[in-house]
Amino acid sequence: MKRAFALMLLVAAPTAALGQRLDAEVDCKPTKHDLVYDCRVVLKEVKSGRLVSGALLSIGADMPSMPMAHNIKPVRAEPGAAPGEYTARIELEMFGDWALKLNVRGPVRDVIVKKFSAREPDR
Amino acid sequence: MDEFALGVLTNIALFSFLALSAYLLLIAGEMSFGQQAFFGVGAYAAGIGTAMWGWPMPLAAAFAMALGAGTAWLVGLPTIRLRGLYFAMATLAAAEMFRILFELLHYQREIDGDLVGPDGTQGFRGIRWVLERGFEPHEYLALVTAILALVLAGFALVARSRLGARIRMVGEDPELAAVFGVDVARLKLGVVAAAGALAALGGALYAHHNTYIEPRNFDIMLGVHSLAYGLIGGLGTAAGPLLGVLIDIGLLESTRVFQGWRMVVFGGLVAVLLIVRPRGLLDEAVVNRIKRALSTR
Repeated sequence: MKRAFALMLLVAAPTAALGQRLDAEVDCKPTKHDLVYDCRVVLKEVKSGRLVSGALLSIGADMPSMPMAHNIKPVRAEPGAAPGEYTARIELEMFGDWALKLNVRGPVRDVIVKKFSAREPDR
Repeated sequence: MDEFALGVLTNIALFSFLALSAYLLLIAGEMSFGQQAFFGVGAYAAGIGTAMWGWPMPLAAAFAMALGAGTAWLVGLPTIRLRGLYFAMATLAAAEMFRILFELLHYQREIDGDLVGPDGTQGFRGIRWVLERGFEPHEYLALVTAILALVLAGFALVARSRLGARIRMVGEDPELAAVFGVDVARLKLGVVAAAGALAALGGALYAHHNTYIEPRNFDIMLGVHSLAYGLIGGLGTAAGPLLGVLIDIGLLESTRVFQGWRMVVFGGLVAVLLIVRPRGLLDEAVVNRIKRALSTR
């Protein structure tokens, strides 16, 4: 409890901003398995446009219309061949609109949210 | 504990605010399907406060609570004299109206080369106050839990006070309460505003946890869940809705094996529970039994 009160004091105190604002290009392609997608992510700094390599990136997903009810456990993305590129395979629970949550750690720290529509393939 | 587990625990704590908000109205005798609207008002207000106006989070949260209380009071003014199903329908309609207003809200500002602020259906990104101050997930969980503990302490104080007794009296029998000199409409309006503020506080904390919100986060699904928390956990004590949140999210997480069907499984379990225990697990009888057992020790 003491720790929590110390944190509340920290919240009340004006402190310097630490985060780095990042943006991401996300391209998720369906695989031969339903609801499984191979995603390619390119991370870059918003201000300078510099590509961000060497970060620890995990990708989770949440259905905006059912926050908490439908979400997937984040998966770790692997660094890709090109600078700033990462790849990950995600498996969703159902078709529909999802919010992909990109959690970036390492040399920079940020959370980026991107929308993604998982559409049922024509059979 | 990994980051995902910490996120689940934080969400349990965050949704407890919404559950307590709906519970407060339930013990005052009203069933609201619209508390998600004030959760949304709080999320947007606090997000705008910190991300766009550069306010510290405590000030933004206080602003969110004031706005949540004010909007709930405004919704309560014309609806408070409605009873039962009519009040429930009115709150649902109001909540949908708020969700549509969030969809129409376009208010953005360029910050560090990035457009920040509500962008209608595209949502509101970049609510980074917590992130930029280097809060780790376990620290934010501790903060939210501490605030929740303060709120619960407030509930415990009110439950022992004359005000608490009056709220329960109005909830049980408003006509009898009026005979005893209680201004029923005024008391209910106060409860509606307090419940709005509480939901807004939860929304403010939710927005800063998620860093992103969008209108669909605050639709009917969340309203149904918030009401279900109290009905599952029990109406005998403020711990009831918290138990409801634990069961809800705990069940959802433990039934992942059912994947897309788990909401169906969950819905079935909730239906059975409500048939077996219509006033929830911790209903008034159970709470009184626990109190008696503790007092005889």
